[in-house]
Formats: sequence, structure tokens, C-alpha cells
Amino acid sequence: MDALPDAVVQYILSTINSAKDVASCNCVSKKWKDSMPYIKSLYFPCSLFDHLKNDQTSDCIVTQIVASVFRLEDLVVYCPFTSTALASWLSFAGHSLKNLELRMNNFIDQNSVTDNQKLDCLQAARNLESLKLWGVLMVNAPKWDKFKKLQNLEIVGARMEDVALTEALKSAPSLTRLVLLGCEGLRTVWIELLHLEHCNLDFYGSGSCSLTLTAPKIEYLEVQGCSLIRVCETSCLKNLSLANNAGRVYMVDFGKLTALDSLSIRGVQWCWDAISKMLQLASEVKRLYMKIEFTGDFEALLPFPEIDFVDFFKSHPKLKAFDIHGAMFAALCQKNSLKNVDSSFKIPCLEEVAVTVRSPLNAEQKMSTLESVVKFGKKLKKLKIKILGMKSGHSSADDFFEEICMLQYMNQRLISIE
Amino acid sequence: MTSSKTIVLRSSDGATFEVDEAVALHSLMIKHRIETGGADSTTIDVPEVTGNTLSKVIEYCKKHVEAPNSDDLKSFDTDFVKVDQAVLCHLAKASYYMNIKGLLDLSSKTIADMFKGKTVEQIRETFHIKNDFTPEEEEELRKENSWNLFV
Repeated sequence: MDALPDAVVQYILSTINSAKDVASCNCVSKKWKDSMPYIKSLYFPCSLFDHLKNDQTSDCIVTQIVASVFRLEDLVVYCPFTSTALASWLSFAGHSLKNLELRMNNFIDQNSVTDNQKLDCLQAARNLESLKLWGVLMVNAPKWDKFKKLQNLEIVGARMEDVALTEALKSAPSLTRLVLLGCEGLRTVWIELLHLEHCNLDFYGSGSCSLTLTAPKIEYLEVQGCSLIRVCETSCLKNLSLANNAGRVYMVDFGKLTALDSLSIRGVQWCWDAISKMLQLASEVKRLYMKIEFTGDFEALLPFPEIDFVDFFKSHPKLKAFDIHGAMFAALCQKNSLKNVDSSFKIPCLEEVAVTVRSPLNAEQKMSTLESVVKFGKKLKKLKIKILGMKSGHSSADDFFEEICMLQYMNQRLISIE
Repeated sequence: MTSSKTIVLRSSDGATFEVDEAVALHSLMIKHRIETGGADSTTIDVPEVTGNTLSKVIEYCKKHVEAPNSDDLKSFDTDFVKVDQAVLCHLAKASYYMNIKGLLDLSSKTIADMFKGKTVEQIRETFHIKNDFTPEEEEELRKENSWNLFV
């Protein structure tokens, strides 16, 4: 290896990124030490500095290593650091940094002043393309100018104020991907990002956030924890997932969903209006996942009104994969329409179905629905029946289970039971 | 319209290898030589590379030119670099001179993986690298890197 030209040694060493390896390589030989400045990425794991001696601080060591690199492009720091140190690193690497990932605080000392200072520092990395922050306290808007090249922003574990978030996002007009996971403290969220294509929002709390999103190029949207969701321009939307495990979804407002391939609606309680609106808009959908426990416009948790089987499948003719749970499955029934249906009715594209059954109530209706799926689903390849929480020993439960087994026996190729 | 023209590559120790032009062009250095070398460039010298290494390089180029989308390309690459570190270094050097990015990346990454997580002494041993620091320099480095248990 000593015989390799310098350029090749540099090329090989520039692929090293773990701080420990960088430090080791620095000590191997002069040629290696001289090649270390050509590194592109640095990664400092959280337990790196467990063995500090004397007056060494992790801040100093990271600074020393960052300062020795010519054009650092990726920096990942999971060990604790001060805002002064961060400012210093960015003074060396700010101009060349493309990707930055920082563990901001461990929620041990929830000092919003230091977090603000750290956030303000980030301005120095003006050519950033991707920023990922763990554990952020964003109570005031960070003093950011514009991150013109920022395409990806991910914040995991945060406490934020509405205005702070809105202002922060204004500094990143080119964002194509936005991920906010485990974010607390938000009530009314306004997001306007004209280039956004992928958006994943997960809000903690009472599930009563309201979200207004203007993103005409949005293709993938996942929202958890909102009770009001408004997305006006949705002509590119292909994948949509709306869930609320804590509160009630009472209003959804979407543009046309003609490009929508996949829809997932989940939660404890959704207003009936919201559910029927989503189902109506998603007429072209190929994959549908439905798991909502109750409906009702107010506090009271109400069961679902009946959903007509024939109407449902006629209004979703492209449906290929269908996953429906408990209460919603119970609501899907024939309403006598199948007695009068014309012979050409079929469910043309359906290939995979998963049904979760939780109670033996209305067993006859449920069996009828299952049989109809098998009968009219000409292309059906798989029907999975998941049985949850039904106690055996209860005669109606046993009977129901027996009938399901019978159905499975008669259609062994298709049906599986869990 | 694909010509079945062949090119002869000559290594530093005089070994010659006849390859399809398409395979040879996988090396941007050879491509450049052909394009600028005039009509009769059917034999190209590669003085930086020995016969053994050149034959391996040609094997790599052949696979990547003839079946670039095959499913076993990844496993081919993985097996290709299951060689000792001396051969790997020769491959890295050859791919650098012959400007074959795929092979340079593959061999570089494999070499780098061989010393990740190792101590300084282990790295020196694996690659037979001479420690050319003075004792004072060595002491200084040791102090700076005491946080790194691998020093």
C-alpha cells in the first residue's frame, strides 16, 4: 500500500467517516496523515468521548478534526456539544457542508436559549442540501436567512411553537422532502412549500392540530395527529395516509385526488362527513386501508352507518388491495342491493383482501359480505381473515368461527385465517 | 452497427491481451487514447499495470460491459474483491490510471473496510506500512488522540 500513488491513498481514505477511524488513520504514517484532509464525511457517535483525559473536551476534539478537513460535505454529530462549538465547526465547514445531522439536546437540560443559539448558528451552513435534527426545542423562530439549496428537512422529537415552525419553513423554499416526527406543542400548522413532494407529519398531543398545506407538487403525504386537514392542490398526490390516534378527525378538505393510488385512513373517531368525503374523492385508488373505530360528530362515539357493498365497489373500480378492520367491516353490507344487482356486477381488479374481525355480532351479515367478496372478486388471489380478541367458549363466537372455517375450507386456495 | 473490432492491451511486463473494443472503452483512459491516437491505435500500452492485474481488470470490464444489468452483478463484484490486500492495492492503482471509476470505487471501499475499526498498529501490519513519524511526533499524536482507544 505504500507503493500507491498519493491520489489513490487520498481516494481510499476519503471514504472513511467514523471519527475513531479518522483518528487512527492520522497516526499511521505521514502520507496517511497528509491524506486525511481530503475526507468528505465525518461521523461522531454519542459514546465516542467516554474516555476523555485531563483537559480535553469533546467540543475541542471535534473542532480539531473538523478544522483539519478541506471540504467537508457530511457531518453527523450524536455526542453533546455547545453552541459555541457548533459555530466554530460551521466556520470551518459551513461553505462546503451538504448534509448535516445533529443531536441537539437530550432533553436533560431543556434550555431554550442554548437551543435557539444552536439553531441560529446553522445559518452558516448556507449550502446545505439536507438537515436532520434530533431533539429540538424551537420556541422562537430561528434567525435563518435562506437555505436556498435545502431539499430535505427532518426533525425528530421536538417541541415547537406554530409561528416558529412557519418562519423556519419560510427559510427553506426549495424543500422537496419534509419529515416532522414526534412533534409536540403545535396547534395550527400552516405549510406552504411549492416544491414539496414528500411530507410526513407526526404530531403528539391531544390530536387536535389543524393543518393547512399548500404544496402543489405533493406526491406522498402522511399525517398523524390532526383533526382538521386541508390540502388544496392535490393533482399529483399518489400516496395518502391520514391517522389520528388521540383525537377526532372532524374535517378534511382536499382537491381532486385523480392521481391517488393508495389511501390509508385510521383513527379512533372520524366524522362521517370526513370519511365519506375521502372515500368519494379516492375513486381511482388501487390500495385502500381502513381502520377507524367509531364515527360521530361530537364527543359521543357512534357506530358506523351501513355502507352499501355494491355501491362501495362500484365507486372504487380500480381497487386492487383492500384492508379493512373491525367496525368498518361490520358496516359494509349488502343493504339488499345484491338481490337486485345486474349480472354484470363484478369487482374487476381486486386481488388481495385483508379483513380483521373483532366480534361475532351480525355474523350472518359479515359472512355474507365475505362470500360476496369471493363471489364477485373474479381476480381475487388472497383473502386473509384476521380474528382478534374474540373469546371462544361464547357460543356465538364459536359459531361464527366455524362458519369462517367452512368458508376457508371451500376456498382453500384463496383464504387464510390468522 | 457494433463493430467487432478488437484492441490489444500490453502490460508493463509485455503481456498482451486482445479485447473487444467495447470492453476496452470501459476504461476512460483507453477511450481517450483511441479517440486521440489516430486510426492505427490497435495496440495500447498500459505501462503502469502488470499482466496479472491487467487480466483481472479486463475480467471486470468484460462483466460490466457485457451484462451491466444482470442480477448477479453485485455478487460478481463481491466475489471479485475477495483477494488479498496486495492484489486489491494493485487493482486500485490500475483502475485509477486506467480511469475505471466503478472498479476504483469498489477496490477503494474494500480496502477501507479492511482497516475500519482497527488500531493504528493493526493497520500498519495489515498493509505493511512503515511508521515514518519521529518519536516526538508520535508522542504528540498519542496525546492528541488519547480519547481514541484504538491509538
